[in-house]
Amino acid sequence: MNNGRPAGVRTWKTPEAVHIDVRGLEPPEPMVAILQMIDGGEASTVLVAHLDREPIFLFPELNERGWAYEIVSSSGSQGEVILKMVRVSA
Amino acid sequence: MTLAATFLGGAKGRLLPASIPFRFFVSAAVFQVLAWLTLLLAGEAAIGFRGGPGPALAAVHLLTLGVLTSTAIGASVQLLPVATRRTLAAVWPIKLVFWLTVPGTAALVAAMYTGNPTAIAAAAAATVVGLVLFSGLLAHNLWRAGDLAVVAAYGWASLVALLVVAGLGVAVAVNYGTGVLPDHPSLALAHMIVGGFGFMGLLAMGFSHVLMPMFALAAAPPHRPSFVAFTLAVVGVTLAGGGAVAGSSPAITFAALIGLCATALHLRLMTNVLRSGMRKRLGLSFVLIRAAWALLPATLIVGLAALHGLAGSNGQTLFGFLLIAGWLLTFLLGVLQRILPFLASMHAGPSASGAPALMSELAALGPLKLHAACHGIAIAALVIAIAADMVWLARMGSAVGLVGALAFAWFTGEITWRVVAASRVRHSAAPPADLRG
Repeated sequence: MNNGRPAGVRTWKTPEAVHIDVRGLEPPEPMVAILQMIDGGEASTVLVAHLDREPIFLFPELNERGWAYEIVSSSGSQGEVILKMVRVSA
Repeated sequence: MTLAATFLGGAKGRLLPASIPFRFFVSAAVFQVLAWLTLLLAGEAAIGFRGGPGPALAAVHLLTLGVLTSTAIGASVQLLPVATRRTLAAVWPIKLVFWLTVPGTAALVAAMYTGNPTAIAAAAAATVVGLVLFSGLLAHNLWRAGDLAVVAAYGWASLVALLVVAGLGVAVAVNYGTGVLPDHPSLALAHMIVGGFGFMGLLAMGFSHVLMPMFALAAAPPHRPSFVAFTLAVVGVTLAGGGAVAGSSPAITFAALIGLCATALHLRLMTNVLRSGMRKRLGLSFVLIRAAWALLPATLIVGLAALHGLAGSNGQTLFGFLLIAGWLLTFLLGVLQRILPFLASMHAGPSASGAPALMSELAALGPLKLHAACHGIAIAALVIAIAADMVWLARMGSAVGLVGALAFAWFTGEITWRVVAASRVRHSAAPPADLRG
């Protein structure tokens, strides 16, 4: 675990967003790691997640927290999925 | 903001049409109402139930096949394809499963209630065909669940148990009319053990490894102790089922002790998940889930006591009631409280104004509070009524359970109605397919 997150999670920052790489984690850990980052305040406005599947069960939780989302890149069912999340309400 | 509207390309392809899972959930809610109503009518026959056709057997199968199995099928066909990334090849087999199992169950319990052996055998055959078809769908999906090792292991074991319990069920059902089996009660006991602890119990334990971390926002339990608990559970169920068929009291005793070890380890893993999770306020659903967790070891202890004649004259009935209504039904209703609004919000999509459907707005808390209170009172009343042979208390408890089941049916119906309404609006507003990309 790092910062309370499941082991194997990698995070970094760019000028535009905070990134989190949860590829290789077993469900539901990708979803848990992303929500921990949002709820813990580490990502305040824009969060980009790198996943190896579309996180369908994450979307209701993002709606509940007032975050909008978009899959900006998907290279098929076995490849990397990049999900961009933006806070739209406090 | 247009981001949310664009997300679901291929992902939604793995979400079944809402009508598929929700038809099973609505059926389960209706069967629960009928189960408590049948228990109310059964009265004395229920608290001293020893097997055989009649209202009590009908009530048992309304709960096991009607509520538990319908919910398990609805949840499995919805959740597993998403988790395993394996899209179901077609929707029609699931519809066929529904049309075999749900009307089959209704016909079966009607035949059990009236005590018609020919109708029991025919309805059991239709239901079993549906369950075998469901087993095939489950196996097809589990085949590729490589990164869900613990859940897949429980899934495979549950699937094998389902086939065994279906076979035993047919044998017992046919025997009501023919009487060819040498030891009907032993097979009926094995049917109950493999169905309750095997098929449903293992499925509940397996799904918990995904659902509890999701609910609590915690890391999944570590693999090694999870597999130890799984192995103990499977050995316990196998030994208990075999012991029941063979009429071996020592084997069943040993199996129950192994089951207690599996339970202790599983519950330790689950409580660790809750303790380490970011979400501390888990809500009403976890009142039911925690109560169910307490009732699981209680069931095994009462079963042991009944086996050795230490649980009173209705000890076997108490064991069966705790297994089906105490542990399994309470756990499943707690989980359903949580996942129905979750699934509904995924299916409902954004409103006309573009705002997403929120889980918190889809869950009506009033009916859920009424249901939880009534369910708790009903279980406690029935446990005391069975233990102390009090018919009036059994009727009172069943009546309260019926009120709770009606409240839960209201909650399920309201959510389903919102999903259906949203689906109609979306279809009527949808552009032609070639414009959707």
